[in-house]
Amino acid sequence: MLKVVVGHSEDPESQYAVEEVLDHCRKDLCGLKPQAGILFAAIDFDYSLILDHINQAFPGIDLIGCTTDGEMSSILGFQQDSLALMLFSSDTVKISAGVGLGAKENPTLAAQQAVHQATGSDASPKVCIALPASYISDGSTTSGGEILKGLELALGNHVPILGGTAGDQYRFKSTVQFFRTEVLTNSIPILLFSGDIQVSYGTACGWTPIGQKGIVTRSKGTALYEIDGKPALEFYQRYLGDRPPTAETPLAVYDGQSDLYYMRVPNTYDADSGQINFLGDIPQQSIIQLTDINRDEIVSAAEQSFTTALARYPGTASPEAVLLFSCCCRRWLLGSRAKEEYQLVRNALSSSVPICGFYTYGEFAPLEPEGTTHYHQETFVTLLLGTNSPLEKP
Amino acid sequence: MNESIDDQHRLKELEKTVRILQKKLQRSEVDRTELENASELRESVLKTVIRDLEKSHTILQDRGQALETALSDLKTLQMKLVESEKMSALGIMVAGIAHEINNPVSFIYGNLDCANDYLQSLLGLIQLYQIHYPEPIATIQAEIESIDLDFLKQDSKNLFQSMRVGAERISEIVTSLRTFSRLDESDFKMADIHKGLDSTITILNTRLKPTPVNPEGIKLIRDYGITLPCINCYPGPLNQVFMNILVNAIDALDELVEQGGMPESFVPTICISTELSPLNKVLIRISDNGLGIPDNIKDKLFDPFFTTKPVGQGTGLGLAISYQIVTEKHQGRLWYDSIPGQGTVFSLELPIDQA
Ligand SMILES: Nc1ncnc2c1ncn2[C@@H]1O[C@H](COP(=O)(O)OP(=O)(O)O)[C@@H](O)[C@H]1O
Ligand SMILES: [Mg+2]
Repeated sequence: MLKVVVGHSEDPESQYAVEEVLDHCRKDLCGLKPQAGILFAAIDFDYSLILDHINQAFPGIDLIGCTTDGEMSSILGFQQDSLALMLFSSDTVKISAGVGLGAKENPTLAAQQAVHQATGSDASPKVCIALPASYISDGSTTSGGEILKGLELALGNHVPILGGTAGDQYRFKSTVQFFRTEVLTNSIPILLFSGDIQVSYGTACGWTPIGQKGIVTRSKGTALYEIDGKPALEFYQRYLGDRPPTAETPLAVYDGQSDLYYMRVPNTYDADSGQINFLGDIPQQSIIQLTDINRDEIVSAAEQSFTTALARYPGTASPEAVLLFSCCCRRWLLGSRAKEEYQLVRNALSSSVPICGFYTYGEFAPLEPEGTTHYHQETFVTLLLGTNSPLEKP
Repeated sequence: MNESIDDQHRLKELEKTVRILQKKLQRSEVDRTELENASELRESVLKTVIRDLEKSHTILQDRGQALETALSDLKTLQMKLVESEKMSALGIMVAGIAHEINNPVSFIYGNLDCANDYLQSLLGLIQLYQIHYPEPIATIQAEIESIDLDFLKQDSKNLFQSMRVGAERISEIVTSLRTFSRLDESDFKMADIHKGLDSTITILNTRLKPTPVNPEGIKLIRDYGITLPCINCYPGPLNQVFMNILVNAIDALDELVEQGGMPESFVPTICISTELSPLNKVLIRISDNGLGIPDNIKDKLFDPFFTTKPVGQGTGLGLAISYQIVTEKHQGRLWYDSIPGQGTVFSLELPIDQA
């Protein structure tokens, strides 16, 4: 048995918001006690107050969460400046939370900490949901790629990792993570699911490369120094003139010689050296290209991600919860059409299935059903959860 | 009491709505400025992409141009190959024939005098018989009359004379053939242009002779400049140029005569003139009063494979190869002037010595 409920409030006042969210949840829980939850909060809330309220309502709950660039749920659909909570109650699925600190300085260690704490005695998790920090308080960023490597190292390659890095409403200054009653920065909160849990996922993007291709002649991690033997900034300046590279102008990075590509979003740059720092790592020698967007294609990528996940969902039973991780740039570029992403998923599902998700600064998901996890940007990730013995069946 | 709870609830709802709306307003202000910036950014990207496309368009155009040049270069190369193959085959054949004919002709020519001597001696002997035996027997008298001895004596002189002339003509032709093919002289060397022209004319002689269609034949005028010096050149290839131009002139005249309708007084004529130009260059003009060249083909004339002649007769290579020989091999110039219906002049300007 797995019972999943959601609560969602767009009240900007923390107190009212958390009360409304808890009201929604309690109503649907029908007296069941949730053992774990995921909280997505807009940037302006009083987080401690909110965490305290949740803990008072459900003492000892294994809660993780993060600030976002937008929230969505089956209650209010797509929202900004809102508070969304998903709670899990089950006697057959084991869910436990863990957190690692110092994600930027030592991502491997922090990941190990988180996994270690969450695993406890149970050594066979089936899926990991991670909501690590992106921007930390001094304005620098963690490396999503390094965090992912750390998690994979601690979990083993066979455990799919899904989720996204925390956001701060497109301000790119500082993000906050939640772990039980703690408000953290520079951390990696995770949830591990084991026992009778069914999982599937799908990813899609929708960006199209444009302009001339270049070859990365010098890079290290997320720092891109040279394209075609010239400072990376020059490549951008050809297109942008004096304007700095921003999240609206991501690079398509081609996977080897194939025409498949993943996205990398520029973050900061150094005008003197021409170096650009990205939100994900860019391997040396890869072929890159600037990208252009078409809003129709971005929106339909959301649907594609969902239908892929649904098609891969194991067994004959239906999924019992949907988690969505969509990139902040998608939200930003879709503007007034951002709500369509959620709407497409909603329309494709029976109305009783709870949905919760957020707009991230970088997504985690494997590309293939059994494949290893990748760190993505500009991507829409669908995660479907369920059990072999859904609640509806006797 | 009930009503006030209701009012309170409604007030709370209203307050919440106000809070939400305020937040949304704030948010949309921020969004608006960001959107403005973003649209500027996209515009800039697109402009550059368009510029790039334009650039690659011109690059493509240039590349197209380069391909066209490469194609025409290829054509020229192919032409040179075809032509040099043909010419060297022709040259070898001509030289071979010349050599083969040369021996038997020298047997004939070299023995003519000797044969004449023998005949004169025999005739002298007969005369001696006639003096010492003035009354021959009837059989001999009958034979003398039957062979018409007096005429034979008289005519044998002419006979040998014309045989000598014929043999001389043959060796002249053989020499011309060798001069023309100049297999041995494909090197750069001093040569007499007039000799080259003459040997070419010798080879083309039959094409100047009267034919049923052209009972007058083609009149050839040689207007050679007497002071013309020898020039440093490739004699073989240069003769090929003369040949190509002369053949075209003859073709043009033949065609005109075949068409008919020319006045009685018309004489198909080719004139070859040579002179030393004021710039100390050799100028050779080959003119004809044939069909002339229509304006619409003027800029194609020197293109490889351009011909107006029926398949099998024209290859379209003559002028192209000539142009190449004159301009590239000799640093000279080749051009023509033509008035349709009146005739054509091909002019060749060659440096005496190309440094
Ligand atoms: N003297 C001329 N009078 C008229 N047309 C000429 C003359 N010389 C050349 N042409 C034209 O130029 C064309 C090309 O000449 P050429 O390159 O020698 O090729 P071809 O003789 O095989 O046709 C001829 O087909 C003819 O139309
Ligand atoms: Mg010709």
